Amino acid sequence: MQKKFFQKQPMMRKVIYSLIPILIFAIGNFGWVVLIKTFLSTFMAVFIEWLFERKKGKPVSEAVIVTGLLVGLILPPAVPFWIVIVSSSFGVVFAKMAFGGFAKNLYNPAMVGRAFVYVSFPAAVQQSWTPAVSTWGQGFGRWIASDIVTMATPVNVIRGGGDISMWKMFFGNVSGTSGETAKWLIIAAAVYLIITKTASWKIILSTLVSAFVMSGIIFLFDPTRLNPLAWIFGGSILFGAVFMATDPISAPKKERSKWIYGGLIGALSVVIGTFSLFGAGFMFALLIANTFASLIDYLNTPGKVKKS
Amino acid sequence: MGVPLNPFVIMVAAALTSNMVLSNFLGMCSFIAVSKDIKTANGLGMAVTFVLTLTSVLNYLVYYYILVPLELVYLRYIVFIIVIAAFVQFLEMLIDRFSPSLYMNLGIFLPLITVNCAILGGVLFMIIRDYNLMQSLFFGFGSGAGWWLAIVALSTMRMRLREKDIPPQLVGPGLTMIIIGIMALAFLGFSGMVPVQ
Repeated sequence: MQKKFFQKQPMMRKVIYSLIPILIFAIGNFGWVVLIKTFLSTFMAVFIEWLFERKKGKPVSEAVIVTGLLVGLILPPAVPFWIVIVSSSFGVVFAKMAFGGFAKNLYNPAMVGRAFVYVSFPAAVQQSWTPAVSTWGQGFGRWIASDIVTMATPVNVIRGGGDISMWKMFFGNVSGTSGETAKWLIIAAAVYLIITKTASWKIILSTLVSAFVMSGIIFLFDPTRLNPLAWIFGGSILFGAVFMATDPISAPKKERSKWIYGGLIGALSVVIGTFSLFGAGFMFALLIANTFASLIDYLNTPGKVKKS
Repeated sequence: MGVPLNPFVIMVAAALTSNMVLSNFLGMCSFIAVSKDIKTANGLGMAVTFVLTLTSVLNYLVYYYILVPLELVYLRYIVFIIVIAAFVQFLEMLIDRFSPSLYMNLGIFLPLITVNCAILGGVLFMIIRDYNLMQSLFFGFGSGAGWWLAIVALSTMRMRLREKDIPPQLVGPGLTMIIIGIMALAFLGFSGMVPVQ
């Protein structure tokens, strides 16, 4: 039991490796609190899966570590500890274990957990943005980057008429959720994941292209809206496209459906982020796309070999 | 409220922003019961869309040209139900004539549309929100289409599940409720997009 606590899943290992530099960058950007929270969410996720799998005598999947890490990285850095626990536990219990565990889930557990706390405890989650440290690296000497909360993310700043240099957004020394800021690390991780055939390049590409086109159309009609580059580099779309949308289990299986799936996510996240009550466009877009993933697959099944 | 709204906007809002089943939670019973398989789900979705569109218009005419002039507005619930029931009866005969397989598949659920709260809910929403005839038509169609979309998506998701993997306590309606909950969470993203509440 002890030596087989984790199922060996080389694919998930690679995702974990690619998340580690992003986590280290986030510590430098926001302080050590990020590490503690990510550790907490990972611990909770593994613990919950262990509780469920214990009776069946099955080892815990390594995928749940990825879920835990992602929960920690997609929450704002100053979010209260109990939110981290609730988010991680809810996601794993209701979006994963209820469906029968690893590889059976229809929704991305990390995103369900985040959507649940985002909608249920809006005050606690949405007012937990903190500004990043003024120069990257100071975070290693601090517990948390700053005590000031309710600092707007780059997308909010630009929407409010402010300006943030593209370079700063690219390097990642800006506020945001813990893991989404360092675009260059995310791109590097994407290249690594694509080369090792862990993530589907079709989903990443179609998500980004469709978000770019959609925001471009909106920007052409109404230049007061965000410009397409700010969408890609200012928000969570890049992080989400690389790590969340490519989740091989909740994404459709057919090659052709992956294009549609990514396109749906990109376009919806821009539409929802622009017009909806909620700013977190990508989160809802991914859940909606997860909802329709099975349908897209069904429609793309050639012939009529579908079971009736 | 909302009188100057474009019918097309109302249709989109009814299908996505205030989806009948995912944000108003109307029509749950058949939504859960008939979503096991895509073919029946598709058939029922089509039937609901058809009935909802046409009963919205019929009830609009009945309400504004019969009930209001005769000051019989207090009878509206019972009259609406009668109109819906009569129309469903008509639809049942039609389906029986033209598509016996669909008729067999729908079975008990076709008469159940009569008491499907989504239909009555749609009609009442139309009255409460003071829609005009054109708006009612589009609202009815949008509501039905939203319901149709949701049940088709749910049925494909349920087909992907394999019963032996699910914890035995959750097999069937239990897990379906959880899936619907997450779907509702996802559709919450559309809220506030169109100013129709």
